[in-house]
Amino acid sequence: MRNILITMCLLLTTLAALPSYAAESDKPFADERIVLQISDADPFKQTLVLNVANNLIKHYGPDKVDVEIVAFGPGLRLMFNDNVNSGRISGLSDSGVKFSACKNTIAHMTKLLGEAPEINPNATPVPAGVVRIIDLQNQGFKLIKP
Amino acid sequence: MINKQIVIKAVSTALLLSATSVVHSANWLMLQGTEPQGAAERAKVWGFIQPEYQQTDGTKLQAGPWSGQNAQFNLIAPQRQTDSTFNIRRARLGVRGTGFPLDSKVNYFLLAEMGNNGITRPGGGNGAVRLTDASITLNHIPGARIRVGQFKTPTAEEGLQAIHVFDYVNFTNVTGQLMMERFFNGDGADTFVTPAGDSGPGGDPNLANGPVSAFRDIGIQVFDTFKVSDWEHSYAVMIGNGNGIARSDNDDNKDIYLYWSSELIYGGKGPRRDSLKLFVWNQDGKRTLTTSGAGEYDRTRTGVGVTFRKAKYRAAAEYIEGEGMIQNGTDGGAKPGSASNVSGTTASVNVATNGEADGYYLHFGYAVLPKLELDIRYDVYNRVTNVAVAERTFDTTTLGAQYFFNKKTRATINYEMRNAEAPNLPSSAPPNQILDGIDDLLSLQLITIF
Repeated sequence: MRNILITMCLLLTTLAALPSYAAESDKPFADERIVLQISDADPFKQTLVLNVANNLIKHYGPDKVDVEIVAFGPGLRLMFNDNVNSGRISGLSDSGVKFSACKNTIAHMTKLLGEAPEINPNATPVPAGVVRIIDLQNQGFKLIKP
Repeated sequence: MINKQIVIKAVSTALLLSATSVVHSANWLMLQGTEPQGAAERAKVWGFIQPEYQQTDGTKLQAGPWSGQNAQFNLIAPQRQTDSTFNIRRARLGVRGTGFPLDSKVNYFLLAEMGNNGITRPGGGNGAVRLTDASITLNHIPGARIRVGQFKTPTAEEGLQAIHVFDYVNFTNVTGQLMMERFFNGDGADTFVTPAGDSGPGGDPNLANGPVSAFRDIGIQVFDTFKVSDWEHSYAVMIGNGNGIARSDNDDNKDIYLYWSSELIYGGKGPRRDSLKLFVWNQDGKRTLTTSGAGEYDRTRTGVGVTFRKAKYRAAAEYIEGEGMIQNGTDGGAKPGSASNVSGTTASVNVATNGEADGYYLHFGYAVLPKLELDIRYDVYNRVTNVAVAERTFDTTTLGAQYFFNKKTRATINYEMRNAEAPNLPSSAPPNQILDGIDDLLSLQLITIF
């Protein structure tokens, strides 16, 4: 009886230690999980990161790949609501691509601009972009910085 | 007759349209005056180099007081010292961007010319690096962007478009003579005695008093673009000095520019996007002369046109008319400053202060291969149509080919079959004998954009 109880405790502990994909991801059947980083000021990088996200969706299919673009530092300009790429962002969002915007960068840019920048409604503010990337990597996401 | 009221109504209609996000094709107002929002560089360095070769047969003047001397129209600009020459036609270096990348509402455009042309060496004189563009655009008011500084005026298509994507080496006669403005102190009517010096009133053979306008002015422009279905409607209203580039105004008069275009977008992006564009424009101003013919004169220009680009096909047409300050060639067709064979007269550049003129061009192009395009253009210019004996007609057929080494580097060859006549004078009259001597023009140009 005691052995059965010990075995059950060990089993529950092991299950609790497993990465909780289902709790964090809404694509439980994805074969690949990719986090794309954009932190550069170069406008070409904006186009590139969106192209990479689009190519991933096209290759794997929207349900087989989980893609999240995390923007911080000068790269946060991609998430401005008036960004010339906002139409593409809407389209990719409809295909399941997630967008995260670093709150630390938003706060810094607010100080520089004198007012908060208007962020694309498709982007989710996260406390810190680099921490978001680390968290996603810990969940099994692969980091790509185009 | 193009009515300025039509242009005003078109511009007013634009202000009632709702603005949506647009992508700019051959929309020169937006391509030159704005930067991509949220995606522009702080300072993007760019420029282009255009070396070229041009030649004519160098036929001398066949009649008139300068008979046997060089014909102005058979010499190669800007120095006009020879009928064949290599030249650095244009060499421009510029920078554009947002300055403060976090704020997309402010952008700037700066460009300087270092080539050998009418901007840097007016009338073939001493050279100088010259600022062609220096502007700031404020994008704070929806539907009304404000551009301030020196920049291209919203007028004729050949002038408004970016020169580094122009399909030909030289402008049409109507654009080159009626729209590329040269500025003078007088109308050229004074007579000067040579070779010892000038003894006539005014003191000089009426040469240009500064650089050519280069289709630019210094002022302020309100403009924007609105997308309605597949159409992109644009308007511009500008007020400028009307006294050319890189200098302040010389009188109290200001030029008013009105522009409207409607463009059906087929696809692609950038200056070579596939589209059908209809446009109309008007320029209204006054000019002041201080020597011969001293006084103020109206100067009005109006144009209407269309451009088309789809897959392998290109086409364009524009009709332009003008009243007042019509540049009216040189005395006897001679190079300005040349002493005549009799009576010691010095050739001057002339201006028909109350003259009228009109002209048009048709252009067709076909991309036979991805890297090779063939072009043909026919243009007509009727100068001083309101004075029968002074009227001159120029018609030119240009055959051209462009070879694209890549999308930023191409070679262009043009052969211009040029004709001119005084249509109301007999063929034996000296003006027609002089104009019979106008040669064809061969030009080869290479350009690389960086």
